[in-house]
Amino acid sequence: MSQQVLEARELSKTFVSGGEPIAVFSGVSVALAAGQSLALVGRSGSGKSTLLNLLCGLERPDGGVISLLGERFDSREAEAPRQWTQRWARLRRGRIGVMFQEANLMPALSLLDNVRLRARLAEQPLEPCQSWLERLGIGELAERYPDQVSGGQRQRAALAMVFAMNPDLILADEPTGSLDRRTAEEVTAELFRLQAETGVALILATHDAELADQCQVTLDLAHGAADLTPGASAGPAP
Amino acid sequence: MTLFTALFSHYRRHPLQLAALALMILVATTLWSGVRQLTEQARTSLAQSEQVMAGRQQVVRVDGAGLTVGDFAVLRRAGVCVMPWLEVPRPDAVGLVIGIDPLAAHCFAEEGAPFGTPGGSRPARLDGKPFVDIAEAARLARQLPAAETPPALVLIAADDTLAAALPSGYRLVSVSTGPDTGELGESFLLNLDALGILVLLITALLLRSVYRLGIVQRRDSFALLQRFGVPLARLRRLLILEILVLSALCIGPGLWAGGWLAQSIGQGFGQSLQGLFDAPLYASPGHWGEPALIMMTVVLLACLADFLVPVRRSHAPRLRSYPLAGGLLVTGLVLALLGPSLVLLFVAVAMVFAGVGLLAPLLIQWLAERAASMASDPLRRWRHRELAVMARQLALPVVALQFTLAMVLAVQALVTTFEDTFDRWLGQRLAAELYVPVPSGQPAEPAARWLAAQPGLQQGGAWHRVIRGRARVAVGDKAARPVDLLAFAPVSSLVSDWDFLATDGNPWEALARQDAVLVNEQLARRLGVGIGDRLALEIAGSPLALPVAGIYADYGRPAAEVLVSGALLPAGFEAEFESISITPGGLSREALVGGLKQVWQVPELTLRDNAEIRALAGGVFDQTFLLTRAMSILTLVLAAIALLIMGWVFFTGRAWYFRLLATWGLSRREVAAQLTRLSVGLTASVALLALPLGIWLTWVLVHRINPLAFGWSLPMAVYPGFWVELIGLSLLIGLGIALLMGRQLRAGAALPVSASSLTGGER
Repeated sequence: MSQQVLEARELSKTFVSGGEPIAVFSGVSVALAAGQSLALVGRSGSGKSTLLNLLCGLERPDGGVISLLGERFDSREAEAPRQWTQRWARLRRGRIGVMFQEANLMPALSLLDNVRLRARLAEQPLEPCQSWLERLGIGELAERYPDQVSGGQRQRAALAMVFAMNPDLILADEPTGSLDRRTAEEVTAELFRLQAETGVALILATHDAELADQCQVTLDLAHGAADLTPGASAGPAP
Repeated sequence: MTLFTALFSHYRRHPLQLAALALMILVATTLWSGVRQLTEQARTSLAQSEQVMAGRQQVVRVDGAGLTVGDFAVLRRAGVCVMPWLEVPRPDAVGLVIGIDPLAAHCFAEEGAPFGTPGGSRPARLDGKPFVDIAEAARLARQLPAAETPPALVLIAADDTLAAALPSGYRLVSVSTGPDTGELGESFLLNLDALGILVLLITALLLRSVYRLGIVQRRDSFALLQRFGVPLARLRRLLILEILVLSALCIGPGLWAGGWLAQSIGQGFGQSLQGLFDAPLYASPGHWGEPALIMMTVVLLACLADFLVPVRRSHAPRLRSYPLAGGLLVTGLVLALLGPSLVLLFVAVAMVFAGVGLLAPLLIQWLAERAASMASDPLRRWRHRELAVMARQLALPVVALQFTLAMVLAVQALVTTFEDTFDRWLGQRLAAELYVPVPSGQPAEPAARWLAAQPGLQQGGAWHRVIRGRARVAVGDKAARPVDLLAFAPVSSLVSDWDFLATDGNPWEALARQDAVLVNEQLARRLGVGIGDRLALEIAGSPLALPVAGIYADYGRPAAEVLVSGALLPAGFEAEFESISITPGGLSREALVGGLKQVWQVPELTLRDNAEIRALAGGVFDQTFLLTRAMSILTLVLAAIALLIMGWVFFTGRAWYFRLLATWGLSRREVAAQLTRLSVGLTASVALLALPLGIWLTWVLVHRINPLAFGWSLPMAVYPGFWVELIGLSLLIGLGIALLMGRQLRAGAALPVSASSLTGGER
């Protein structure tokens, strides 16, 4: 049986807007093992990005418990914000790879230096960085700067950065949202290929139903399901 | 929503930028108009001092007593054309007003050019400014604080008045308007003009940088509006309208504040003018129209120059700038070394500043790029690359801060050198313990004989007479020029500590033997005189030819002066001032005072001690650089605030990347450390680059500008302690930027959203 990477139970998040509390979601539970992939789908505003933020510690849930890679984060426990932030920062630095729709790269660094920077922060060796770019088909662009390559090439470089840190979990928020269909398909294919090769767990937030279908499990936040725990079972959601 | 509202909505989102822009216009107007107003007052005052009184003569009492209205009546009854003249400080304001009597001035009209009216052979001599009716001046005089010396009445005589026509008890003397300053007055004004232009340049740079940053951030909106069909020309017209409205709102208060600033520092400035050129600062009303127009033009040019020259967005270092900057720098340096006039020196300074201004951001960028390429640690490489981006993005405020740091450093070095030198010089000049002015109408010789006969004075004491008057000096075939004359009799040990700029053997012995004269630096420079050169002197009509045995420093005044032995003064020589410097030694002060009173047969004796005169002289000289120091500090504060604001705005545009670092797992403390290293790295680089420029400027001020502007030079000195202070200030600015940004990062959303602005995405 695969090693459990993530288990989140009864997560809830509320924002305050104009003095009124707005519940983004509540009672959401997620579990994921190494090598598994999960697609988060739902309408705009359904809380996909917010859930990803909770799962990498960029935001704190109002309720629920997250167990990730052996660390437990319980919103009910009065843990000091500083300590909570530091524990999450350690995980993001070495074990969680985060991808966004665009601008994941430092504009002042070449593609290779971006990959090296991410690997260095994760305390991974720098030597394989060039080979990651080559595996993603942009090895010859290593010395170019982000504004000198296409959007698709930038997202490939972002993928190289994530895999160069050798993470246990990748959280990708609409990683192909800014790309044309063909390029998006190419980048997605690379993502799933490398995910399968490395055995990393993947959670992907997307509007794209076809992309979601490629994941083993789909979690539709738009329907506001109370318990969407996919368990450890493989295969796409029914 | 109108188009203008859409355009202006940027400032609704970034009110700080609008506030910074308004503040820059306001402060730029305040500083420049303040300096300009003082310069105009000084120009007017110097011109009036020269023009109004040039060639005039006044009537004085033979017994040396002050003039009264009774004297005026006596003279007018005797048919002498005289006009009362009363100079009074303005209460609670800057400068002087002059009270005249228009009726009494009527007889002057017969000379061909009536007083108080422009035109005639002496146009605009007295054009009503700052003249008031003498009754008003007298009223102001009565309001003066009791501690102030009441102004003395002067009776100006018509040009054709003959000495023979005067009643007995009166004599004619020429109106003294201070020493012959040659072109020094113009040089002084040029200095002030240069300071004003420098202040305007720096503030315009800061203004431009704030405005340009806003424009860069608004480019997306402009592009969107163009896509919606708004013509580019219309957008530009609206932007011009926007900056015109803002200028109109800020320039008025800025001019008012400039007037207030001029008034605040005018008192000290007036004393400075009086000390340097013996010309009082006359009050003159401020003009509004012309400065407002000039400032509006400067604001428009500073903000809208990009419409004329498209902004370059190349990422590569601007290689084409190197030859231009290098050429300006080298030419400026050579010109500063060899330039024979003050105008050329200022041109040289401008060229060097322009060259350095172009080179400094490029140099920081180049060094940062080099450091990045040599760094093996990717995080360090990123930080160096970010520094290079900052140096390019913040080029204008960086250059402005560099200029002001250099200016402050140079001014501080000049002022401190001046103070140190002046203290030492004053210590040598004021070697005696007591100073006794010879009472009016009394001869000094009996007192000298009495002093020479005192055995107590031989025991550790010393004394000499100090005689001041006028003489004429010629060198070679050149025409004789009037100079100040100083004589010592005898040449005592009180002067033996004087430092000389140049000597030949023992100048005091040569002076005592009556074999030579000494000259001050001003005379040596103006007449091109060196050691051994023979001067043709004319003292009270008696010719005298002696070589120069020494050149001494004579700080704080522009007059040329020759120092001779008192024994050489002819019998007909009329001293303008005479005193005796005494260190009593074994003679008690009571015995000294009592003896001199007896010799002169006077009931009271004016006796000034060393400390009193030192305090008086020190007070006058403290004012000399008040304006320069005040303006440079104000400009530094402005530049520091501007860089702080600009740095903050810049980092706001780059916030995405710092949040990305946090997303990648750097703790807040580590992100803050990266931020601090970056901002402090930039400001420290600026300070380090400002040091050589400041030291060079100090050299130019001390060795080139000061001798041309004031007639005397100072020794060059540097003050590393102050460098450390300035570097410390730069580090504080850097820390301030990091602190502001750190707060913003903590307060903002933890997740990177978008690096939407062009500034944010630039590398």
